[in-house]
Amino acid sequence: MLGVIDIIALAQSGAANQLNGAYYFLAYIVFFALIALMSLPGFQQRMYIYFASREIENGLAKIEKSLNTAKSKTKQLLEKQGASNPEELTKRFADMFTIDPVSVEPTDIISRMRLLIRTSEDRIKGIIMTTLPNVDPVTRSKIEVSAEIINALNTLHKVIRHYLLLGKKLNSYFILLQLQSVVPILVKMAEAYEKAQDTFIQGIPVGDSLGPLVASRFLMSIPEKWSPSREVIAGETLFEGRKLIVVKAEGPMATVGTPGEAVEKIVEKENGKVARIITVDAAAKLEGETTGEIAEGTGVAMGDPGPEKIVIERVAVKYNIPIDAVIVKMSMEEAITSMPQEVYEAADKVVELVKKLILERTKPGDTVLMIGVGNTVGVAQ
Amino acid sequence: MSQSQQQQKPIVTVLKCLKCGYTTERPFREGDFIPKIEGTCPQDGAPLFIWGIYAKSNQQQKNK
Repeated sequence: MLGVIDIIALAQSGAANQLNGAYYFLAYIVFFALIALMSLPGFQQRMYIYFASREIENGLAKIEKSLNTAKSKTKQLLEKQGASNPEELTKRFADMFTIDPVSVEPTDIISRMRLLIRTSEDRIKGIIMTTLPNVDPVTRSKIEVSAEIINALNTLHKVIRHYLLLGKKLNSYFILLQLQSVVPILVKMAEAYEKAQDTFIQGIPVGDSLGPLVASRFLMSIPEKWSPSREVIAGETLFEGRKLIVVKAEGPMATVGTPGEAVEKIVEKENGKVARIITVDAAAKLEGETTGEIAEGTGVAMGDPGPEKIVIERVAVKYNIPIDAVIVKMSMEEAITSMPQEVYEAADKVVELVKKLILERTKPGDTVLMIGVGNTVGVAQ
Repeated sequence: MSQSQQQQKPIVTVLKCLKCGYTTERPFREGDFIPKIEGTCPQDGAPLFIWGIYAKSNQQQKNK
C-alpha cells in the first residue's frame, strides 16, 4: 500500500519525466533548426564573418591601447621639456608619411630613397628643434624615436581598421580571414613597440645595440676619434700590426647613424687599400633558435632599407674588398627592447671572434675596417 | 615567455675596472650609459666603467 509521501514522490517523478521530455523536444527542435539554418546559403559565411570580425576587433582594441599609451608618453616627454603644444605635435608625428620612390624605373632608386629617408628624418628633427630649440641631442633622439613609434602604431591601427571595415562592408570573409591570420602577429608587434618606447626613453641599450656595443669595446681605448658622416663616430688603433678602423653610430643617442656613407668615405680616404670589411649586427632569429647565438658569414650585416648597405657593397666591389658578417641572433621584440642578458654576454665573445677573424684573414700592415651596426641608444664610445 | 614575465626582468648596470678586472652590478639608473666612468675601483682606485646594461634573465626560467 502506498503512503502519502510515496504518492507525492511518484507524482513529482512523473512531472520530472514530463519536464525532461519537454527539454528533449526543445533540444531536437533547436538541433534541427540549426541544421536547417546551416544549410541556408550564406549563413555559415555570416557566422564566420561574425567570429573573424570579433577576433580582429579585439586585436585592434589592443593596438589602439598601445597607440594611446605611446601618445600619452610622448606628450609627457614633450611637456617635461617645456613644449607648449604637445597635443598638436603628437598628432603631427602620428600622421606623417613618406611616399615610396617610383620603382618601375629603378635607375638611381637608391639615391632617391636615401634622399626621401633623410628628408623624413630631418623633418622630425626640424619640428623638434623649432619647438624645443635648447633640447640636448640625447633627449631629442628620444623624442625622435617616440615620434617614429607613434607613427608606426598609428599606421598599423589605420590599416587594420581599414581592412576590417572594408571586409564587413563587402561581407567578404576572405578579406577578414587574411586579416584574422596576421592580426596576432601585428598585436605582438604593437606591444613590442609600446615596450620599446619605455626602453628608449630611459636610455637603456636595446638588443640592436649589440653592434655599437662591440665597436665601443674597441673605441673606448682610442683617444682620437672623428666623425666621417652624419651621427657616426670612427677611431683608429693598431691591432697586432694591423691598422684597425672602427665605426659606429654616435652614442649614447638613439640613432643608427649613416654607416654606409662613413665606410665609403673611409675606404676612399684610404685609397681603397682596405684588406677587409667586418660588419657586426643583431639579426632576427627564427622560431626555435636561441637568443644570443653567434654566427659568422659573408656580406653586409645591416637591416636598413637599402641606401646604407648598398654603399658598402659598391665601394667593396670597386676595390675588391672582402666583406665579413658577424651576427648575434634575437627576436624582433628583443632587438627593440632592453638588451637581453644573453645578448650582452655574447658581445665580449663577438669581440674575441672579430679579433680572431682579423688575425686569420689579414696580415700585419693591412688595414681593416670594422663596423658596429645598429641603434646605439645607451652606448657611447 | 609571456609579456608580464618579460616586464619583470630587472635592468642591471655592470661596472668594471679595466685595470684589475673587478666587476660589480647595481640596478640601472637613468643617465647610465656605456662606457661612462662611474666612480673608482675599491681595490686599486682606477676608474670604474659602465661595462654593460642589460635585462637580467630569470635564473629559474633559464634552468627549466
